[in-house]
Amino acid sequence: MPSYDVMPDVQLFQPAEVDDALNLVDQYGKDGWILGGGQDTYGWLKDRAKHPTALIDLNGIEALHGIRETVDGIEIGATTTLREIIASPLINRDFELLVRAASRVASPQIRNVGTLGGNVSQDARCWYYRRGLACYRAGGNICYADSPQGMNREHALFDASRCVAISPSDTATALVALEATMIARSVNGSRNIAAEDFFVGPATHITNMTSLESDEILTAVQIPSRWAGSRFYFEKVADRDVWDFALVSIAVVMKMDGDTIAKSRFVCGGVACTPYRLLDVEKAARGKTLSDESGDAIAALASQGAKPLNYNHFKIPLMENLVRRAMRG
Amino acid sequence: MDLVMYKNDVWGREVILGVSWELLWVVVVAAFVVIAAHAIIVGNRKQAPRPSSEGKHIERHDGKDRIFHWVMAASVMVLLVTGIFPIIGIEFSWLTLHWVAGLVLTASVVFHIVRSLFWQDLASMNIRPSDLKETFSTAKKPGKYSIEQKGMHAAVTVLVLLVIGSGLVMFAMIDTPWWERTNSLSEATLGWVFLIHGLSTLALIAAISLHIYFSLRPEKLFYTRSMIKGWISEEELKAHHDPDKWPKDSA
Repeated sequence: MPSYDVMPDVQLFQPAEVDDALNLVDQYGKDGWILGGGQDTYGWLKDRAKHPTALIDLNGIEALHGIRETVDGIEIGATTTLREIIASPLINRDFELLVRAASRVASPQIRNVGTLGGNVSQDARCWYYRRGLACYRAGGNICYADSPQGMNREHALFDASRCVAISPSDTATALVALEATMIARSVNGSRNIAAEDFFVGPATHITNMTSLESDEILTAVQIPSRWAGSRFYFEKVADRDVWDFALVSIAVVMKMDGDTIAKSRFVCGGVACTPYRLLDVEKAARGKTLSDESGDAIAALASQGAKPLNYNHFKIPLMENLVRRAMRG
Repeated sequence: MDLVMYKNDVWGREVILGVSWELLWVVVVAAFVVIAAHAIIVGNRKQAPRPSSEGKHIERHDGKDRIFHWVMAASVMVLLVTGIFPIIGIEFSWLTLHWVAGLVLTASVVFHIVRSLFWQDLASMNIRPSDLKETFSTAKKPGKYSIEQKGMHAAVTVLVLLVIGSGLVMFAMIDTPWWERTNSLSEATLGWVFLIHGLSTLALIAAISLHIYFSLRPEKLFYTRSMIKGWISEEELKAHHDPDKWPKDSA
């Protein structure tokens, strides 16, 4: 597959209003490509692995940008950059988990231009798929990663269905843990989608990572106040400290009742095609204190049901150890 | 419009990917046109009086065969919904439902094959040259099955065996409770399997559309009733079949 340094011939639209962008998305449908920070886009287009006819650049739309306090939490515009999220006093005060997750995305340069909407909507990073091979996710009839010779060190432990790619987004795990709501708009109206339902696995939609339809734009992310100021834990394990995707990550929110955990949400990244809730861990953590002993007691629950591939068994102890570390006092 | 979709395999060679699903709409439109044309033509004809369903009952389908038919019908419907809906954009978690329904269909077809080979009169479904005379002469009546019914049975037999055969190969290519997938077929071979599965599915959609249409036509409703209750009346037998051939052809 050839790789180019230049963009292909594609029409660029830079609407200034959301309605104009929605009309363009409606007009071009699957031939249109929504552009945020471009960090997922340019690779696809320069590799000639995707062939949209229209780029719809959302960065000029003021209404999609910024962080606003709402009656019940905050709303972050989809084109708000990761750097702006990291620097936001409001988010630092109430939802530091998202700050920690955003701080671990890629590199400083990428965080300067990468947007929250783009980070949660980015496509799978499976190299067979990104290479332009006609795998299941590309509409084909085979998974190259899950074959006897397939290199699947970074791939899924859970919920694979034909495709074994994982969700690459660091902020996605934090948003699922914080019970965020994604706001999707089309010319036909607006949809509020729970973050947990926003990300879809291959059993449901093998060619999409999210439940966004081709005529919809993710306009904002709302985070309710119910977890504001809670105890947070985020950790990402990757081969490199910067500019790398998670091998496994964990985002945890906990409501404490004195010294014990009253309520929690544990979400792992890098182990399934969607942010993966550790429901058994959450149940077991209730009433426990934060300690090494508690961590040891519940860590093994994290990997129950895992189906490792040829080269990713190491993710099982990695998941368990991340739960242990989240449970430390 | 393409009949077949192609892709480049991992070595860059062009191989078959599967059937072009644009054909689905061709099949749907063609089936609708045939059904509409038939309905208009038959509707303009003078209708013969319908025989009474009262009187003596003649068994047409044994209980086991009726159960087989409806199990097969249900499984085929589930297979079509779970196979086709995601292709036309209605997304849901379909794969497990699909293969479970496929196994039900396979088991029911195996049951039917064994039963027809050893307990039924398989020859009654054979299409003979003499059957063609039924088409051109109203005086010539069929035995238990008309040539149209035999033709539909033959077509569905071939298509279901093709869809099951290709489906079982595809089944081996996914993870199940009994094995993990092997991905052991070459991409070219896999493409042929997908093509056969897709083409036989499209042909089945056409065949089933016609089957359902004819089973709901007023003059054929007694056949549908016989597939539910098992019998036709003596008058219906005399009106549509040759009673002398009936016992010979009957199971």
